[in-house]
This record gives sequence, structure tokens and C-alpha cells, in this order.
Amino acid sequence: MAAQQTPGSSASAPAPTMARLSRLAWVRGARVLTQGGGATFAVVALVLALLPTLFDGFFGFSAGFQLHRITLIGIFVIAAFAQNILTGYAAQASLGNAAFFGVGGYMLAWLTNDLGKPYWAGILVAVGVAAVVGILVGGPALRISGAYLAIATLGLVFVTVSLLDLWDTTAGRQNYDLSNLPALLTDDHTLYYTILVITVVLLWLGRNLLRSRVGRAWIAIRDSEAAAEAVGVNLARFKLLAFVVSAMLTGLAGALYATWATTASSSMASADQTIAFLTMIIVGGLGSITGSILGAIFVGFLPLLLGQLPSPLTIGSAQIQVSTLTTGIYGMLLLLALVFFPSGLSSLGGRGRALWTRLRSRAGGQP
Amino acid sequence: MTAVLQVALAGGVTGSLYGLLAVGIVLIYRTTGVLNFAYGAIAAVCACFMYVLLTGPRLNFWLALPLALIFAVALGIALERLFARPVLNAPVFTKAIATLALALVLQTVAQQIWPQLAQPEHFPSPFEGHATRIGGLYISAIGVTVLGVTAVVMVALALFLNRTRLGIAMRATADNQPVARLMGVPVGLVFPLVWALSAVVAALTGILFASQQAVIDVQFMDPLLILAFVAAVLGGLESLPGALLGGLIVGLTDSLLALVLAGRHVGALDVSDPGIRAALIFGGFVLVLLLRPQGLFGQAVLRKV
Amino acid sequence: MTAATPMSLLEIRGLTVRFGGLVAINDLDLTIRMGQIFALVGPNGAGKTTVLNCVSGFVRPEHGTIRLAGTDLLPLGRDMRARLGIGRTFQNVQLFSSMSVLDNLVTAQHSRLRAGMLSGMLPFGRGPAEDARARERAREMLALLDLEAYADVIAGTLPLGARKLVGVARALVLKPRLVLLDEPAAGVPHAEVTALAEKLRSWRDTLGATLLLIEHNMALVQAVADSVCALNYGSKLAEGNPREVLSHPSVLEAYLGREAGSEAGSETGSEVESRDAEG
Repeated sequence: MAAQQTPGSSASAPAPTMARLSRLAWVRGARVLTQGGGATFAVVALVLALLPTLFDGFFGFSAGFQLHRITLIGIFVIAAFAQNILTGYAAQASLGNAAFFGVGGYMLAWLTNDLGKPYWAGILVAVGVAAVVGILVGGPALRISGAYLAIATLGLVFVTVSLLDLWDTTAGRQNYDLSNLPALLTDDHTLYYTILVITVVLLWLGRNLLRSRVGRAWIAIRDSEAAAEAVGVNLARFKLLAFVVSAMLTGLAGALYATWATTASSSMASADQTIAFLTMIIVGGLGSITGSILGAIFVGFLPLLLGQLPSPLTIGSAQIQVSTLTTGIYGMLLLLALVFFPSGLSSLGGRGRALWTRLRSRAGGQP
Repeated sequence: MTAVLQVALAGGVTGSLYGLLAVGIVLIYRTTGVLNFAYGAIAAVCACFMYVLLTGPRLNFWLALPLALIFAVALGIALERLFARPVLNAPVFTKAIATLALALVLQTVAQQIWPQLAQPEHFPSPFEGHATRIGGLYISAIGVTVLGVTAVVMVALALFLNRTRLGIAMRATADNQPVARLMGVPVGLVFPLVWALSAVVAALTGILFASQQAVIDVQFMDPLLILAFVAAVLGGLESLPGALLGGLIVGLTDSLLALVLAGRHVGALDVSDPGIRAALIFGGFVLVLLLRPQGLFGQAVLRKV
Repeated sequence: MTAATPMSLLEIRGLTVRFGGLVAINDLDLTIRMGQIFALVGPNGAGKTTVLNCVSGFVRPEHGTIRLAGTDLLPLGRDMRARLGIGRTFQNVQLFSSMSVLDNLVTAQHSRLRAGMLSGMLPFGRGPAEDARARERAREMLALLDLEAYADVIAGTLPLGARKLVGVARALVLKPRLVLLDEPAAGVPHAEVTALAEKLRSWRDTLGATLLLIEHNMALVQAVADSVCALNYGSKLAEGNPREVLSHPSVLEAYLGREAGSEAGSETGSEVESRDAEG
């Protein structure tokens, strides 16, 4: 929508310098902030920035633990956004994103542990290898689509899990523990801020991208492949690009997850993980950035909420271990969401807002 | 020579299991457009029910079997009502994701009802320990049973779909649902029938596989499922014989790879691991799809503009 | 006035298309001159849309050559043909239905714009600057077609008539050399056909484009076409100026006697197709 706000001033300026352009961007950003959702945005930013302090006040000695659990949501937001770019925007039926997630985590573990490379190099390699896997999956995706692509990508997940398992068994370990992490990232506060900043920056860059020529080409492919080609979109190139971008983001999320958990395990690449990503974007809303965020919060909070239930839970004579219910509850919520809110939580926001303005105008109409 | 025959036999048996699952997957996909990733869970739940009958009230195997199949019919109809009907008009991909979710729900529910099956348990069957040698060939009772049941199921399905009114109604629905509806085909009856039928095939496959492995747990069908999908796609996702053939190809390839790779190592890596085999089969499958995007036996579909 | 520019823009020679055993187009020769409005007519199934699809690349012919201003089109992909200056509309419209009308026209300029991943991610520099110019061109085109009021409307929510016009605007926005229009008058009320004819001519003159259109509406063809070719069963029945072709006995026999019926048929046909495309 903001793609329609004409930034006429910068377009007509004769060869403006980089500094001046970025200043204009900042001015424009500030203007956006002071309009409409600016207040909400400011409040959210403030809460997110002060969250560790708030937690210290609320939770006392367990604040670090709680903050650590909340941090996971940021990582999920990145992964959900990546899945949404591929599935919600470029309309590629990928069930394989968990493979990128697992590969990212294992690459970081391998580089920093076994090869003794610095952390940043591990992240770069994790993202790079995920991109290569993305090309390997995206290549076939140019020729196969729909049901066939869904099966092929789900197969990738199964294969990746068993190969990572095999790697673990061969190396004689249960999980791949990351013992060489930078001290800063093992601190709950700095980890929280690091992931917060990375997530916000990536969402911002991604939002711009989706409004640019590249994003428009993806949406065009989703809305009508034939028309997209008729206006000159190279289908092969932009589908592959969607796979690579999604794989890189998911690979990064996987590496961050391994950092967060200080271990990588093959379950990161499992079908359950893929279902979790899909739950995020479907519950949140396909083709919506807000949807990716809401969905990730939803899925991220679910175990926390279930953790509040007494365990074992007693219903009548039955005693249920709550932890064994988590995946089933994901499944149930996903089913309910698909049946009752096919366009996701983010559309509920829009509907609510429409209702609100209607109510307000009605109230205003009869003073 | 004997080794090759032995491998062919083993491949034929596992291939039949893949093929049966693929047939059930194709049955549902063709008529209702649901790419059923919950099919493995359906098979597992039915086999688990059988296990409970065998170990709880200690029913005779041949008495428990029809009860398990009746359970499968009920489960199929219930799933059609509660699950498939509400998502009937959703896009194919959405329905596929919904079945993934359904699989999770089924497994969780099964695990709550039968907590003992969270871990692998021994599955008692009358085939256990029975085998014979013909020439140098080792032939197990369960292997023969799998081949026999597969043949019977395929023939029965073919007769049903081609010779009975209901079967023809099913094929009409698969070809063109709106037209079938207009022609007076009771589409509302056909959908539950398809689900019930494919649930029966799933139950048979699950019970056969559990008998072959002699162990069972809630997730024991998961490793078969993805290869069954590979088989279904190789068969073109449209044809039942194609699906069985796809299953046999996958099964034979798997056993052949097992023979070739047995005991071999690349560095520290044990290449005889089933994970490596799955990866190789999967890679080959993707290559086949690249060369023939419509599967080995599928028809090319013209895209309309 | 079109006779003053005798240079040919599109040359089709020996075009043959087969679908399975069915011959859709049989050894067809067509020459369309620069600046012409050229109409292809014929009953349903005559192969008109197939010709269009061959030119824009959606159907690969078995034999024959298609040249645009001397460039052989057949080895080129669909996107490359768009880059060469071919715009088209679709019988079932195929708008980018989740985008606003303005964004439809901005997206249609894809091949003119350059921004890739990097400049796409930054809110300053080349990407936004070229996007601003693209929006300007899109607004000019909307103004030309009297669609300005719809600029910010989501395309999928428009009524069919408006969607068809947006489809035309999308095909024209890059000022292509050759514009392929698939039944622009289908669904247009009878009284507005003359107005549409005038508009088509004025757009052609303003943009300096060449129009190749498929049409069932003979009133429109009479009013707008410089040259007409009638097809039946994939072969040419007659070619020349509209009056001659439309009164040619074999054309009358093949086509005009069933005009009303075939028009209704084409309507339902395109509806079925669009449902197929969505499903």
C-alpha cells in the first residue's frame, strides 16, 4: 500500500547523494511513524526494547529463563516470514522449509565446533549452504508444481532428517552441541536484543523487497502465471529466487535457533517442524507480514501456555501428560484455522478495524 | 543368482506394501482432490486398534481382523464427515496441509487412548516364525500373504470400479464431479465410500506391515508413507495399477540398493544405512520427475490459457 | 492512412498447430502491417486464439515461422516476447487480482524496470526512483483509458467490464509495438460498441501501436478494422478489407448465420476456462 505513496521529491532531485537520500528515507520514515499506526508502532517498539527490564520486575529470579523463552518467537518470526515469502507470496507449495532450518543449524554447529571457525563465518556458511539446498529444491520446482511439488519437498524433509541422523550416529553423538558460542550470545539479555534487532531489520528489508519489482513479480506469479509471463516476468528466475531467498532466511533462522538452544538436532528438519512453520503462516495469514508475526507469536506462545496447565492433567478418570499433547494441539488449531479462518489472524484485524470504523461512524452520525 | 532372486522377492513384498498405500492415496486424490498425508496415520491407527484387540481381550487374529476392518470403515466415514467435507472446496495445497495436521491429531489421540503404543510393542500374528525354503530361496509366510493380499485387493478394486454401479459412480465422480452430480450420481454417498474403501486398504497394509515387522507403535507407518507417495507420483497420481507398479519399482530399487550397499563404508559413513537408501531413491525420483513431470505413467496435461 | 505505412510488422508463414490428432491451425500465412488494426474472425474453434497464443508464446507450433519486425519469435520464451514489445489481453482477463489497478499497471512494466534484490530491499536509490516513474506512466495510461477513478481499487473486486478495460490498459502501458486483444467487445453492451471502436482507433493513434484483435462482434470489426482475416478449421477463408471479407459467401456460410449463437457460446466458454484456471 505504501508503494502508492509517491516519493516525488527524491525522484526529481538531480543525482542526489547517498547521504541525502537516506536522510529523505528517514524523514519519510518519521512521517509514516507520526501518521496512523505510528502510536501503536511506538508503543510496541518501546515494550520490546524494555521487555528485559519489565521481565526483571515481573519474574525476579526466573526473568532470564522467561526472556530466553520469549526470544524464540523472534527466530520463529524469521522462519515464518521465509515460508510466507515462498508460499504466501510466490505461491510455491513447499513443505520443505524445515530442511533449510536443520541444515542452517548443523552448518553453524559444524563450523564453530569441529572446524573452530568464528561465529560470523558459521552464520555465513549456514546461510550459504541453505541457499544451495534452496537452489537444489527450487530447480525442480520450475518443472513440477502443485501436488507433485508438495510431495517432492516433503520428501526432502524426510531425507534431510535421516541424513542428519546418520551424521549424528556416525559421529557418535545424540545432538550436535554448540560449545564454542561467543560469550555474548550465551547471555539472555544480549541474545534477546541481538535477535530482536536481526528480526526487525530483516522484516524491514523484506517488506521493502515485497513492495519492489521483485515482490510484485512474485505476487504476479501467484495471481496469474500466464499474465505474469505476458508482462515479461521470467517464471523460472523468480520462482528460483523465491526458493533461494526463503532458504537463506530459514537457514539463518535455523542457525539462530541452534545458537538459542546451544544445540542442533535432526528434529529441526522434521516434518513436525515444517507443520509448525505452515501453522504459523496459515493461522497468521498467507501473503501478509503481520500474519507471519502473529502466527509465530501464536505458535511460540502455545507451549508456554500449555506449560501453565497442571501436568498430568486430570479429566475425569484420565490423566494426560500435557507435553505429549503439544503437536496434536498444533494440528487441531491448524485444522480449525483452515476451516474457520482461511485467511488468517491478520485478516481478522482488518475485519475488526472495518467493524470499528463502521460502529464509530454510526455513533458519530447520531450525536 | 539366488541372492538376486531373494532380493527381488523381498523387494516385491515391500514394494507391494508401498503399492497398496499408494493405491489408497490415489483413490482419495482422484475422487476428492485430497493429497492425503494422514494416510500413514490412518493405517497406523487401524493397526493399533487390531493390536489392542489382540492383546487386550486376546481375540483370535482371524476374529480381530474383520473387527479391525469394520473399525477402518467407521474411521473412514467419520474422517470424511468431520474432516474432508469442511475443507472440500479449499485449494489442493491447503487440503494437503490440512491432512498433515490431521495426521498429528490422529497420532496424538491414538497415543492418549493407547499410551502403551507410544513405544514399540510386539505385534503377535499367526505368520510369525513360519517360513520355508524352495531351492535356496527363503520364503516367509508373511511375504506370501502380502503378495496374495495385494493381488486380491487389486482384482477386487478393479472389479468393483468397473463392474458395480457404485464403482462406476465413483469413477464418474473422479472424472468430473459437477457433471456426475448432474447425471444423478449420489456424490454425497460416493465421498464417504471412497474414504471408507481407502481406510480399509490402509488398515490391511498397516496390519500386514505390523505382522512383517512384528513390532508396532503409533508412528510405525511414517517411514513407509513418503515412499508410498513417491510410488503414487511415479504412477502418475491418477491410475491404480500405475500406483502399484510405482510401489513395486520403489520396493525393488530399495532392496537392490540394500544388496549393493550392504556393509559398505565411505570413510566413516555407513552407506548401508536406510537413510542413505531413502536419499538415493528420493534423488532418483526427483530426476524422473524432471524428465517426466507427469510421472512415469501419467498423461501430460495441457495447460489452458 | 494506414496504407501510408506499408512496412510489415508481424509475418506469419506456414503456421501449423496440432493438439493431439486435431489440426488447430493449418499452414496459415498472415502479414500485419505497422499501424494496422487487424481483426481475426471465425466461428468457435476456428483457431483464432491459437494464433494469438503462438504469437505470444503460449502455444508452440509444429511448423512455420513468426517474425516481429524481422526477429524470429519462435526460439524466444514468453517473457522475452513481452520484452520485444508484444502486449496481450486474455479472454478470461487474468488480472493480478490481489493488487490495486495502479499496481497492475506498474507490474506490467516489469520488463522496463531494472531493480533486483539489493535495490529492492532499500527504500532509497534506484528502485523507488524507477517505481515512481513507473507509477507516473501507469497513471498516464489510466487517464488515457478513463480509468483514473479505479487506480486504488483492488483489481479483483471490479466488475467484469472494468476488469477487461484494465486488462487492455495493462497490455498498453509499455506502449508495445504489437498489441494482441482477445475479444475486447465480449460482454460490452451493444450500444457501447461504436464508442469502443472509436477508442481503439484513438489509442492506436496516440500510442502508435499495431493491434491484432480476435472478435466475434461484427459491428466492432466493421467499425474498427483496417483489414480482416476469416478463419475456419484453422485455415484462411478470406482476407481483405472488412466489407469484402464479411460479405464473402463462404464466410457468411461458416460464420455469420450462427453469429448470435456462437457469441453466447463463447461467453460460457470463457467462464468455464477462468474457473479452470483458478482451480
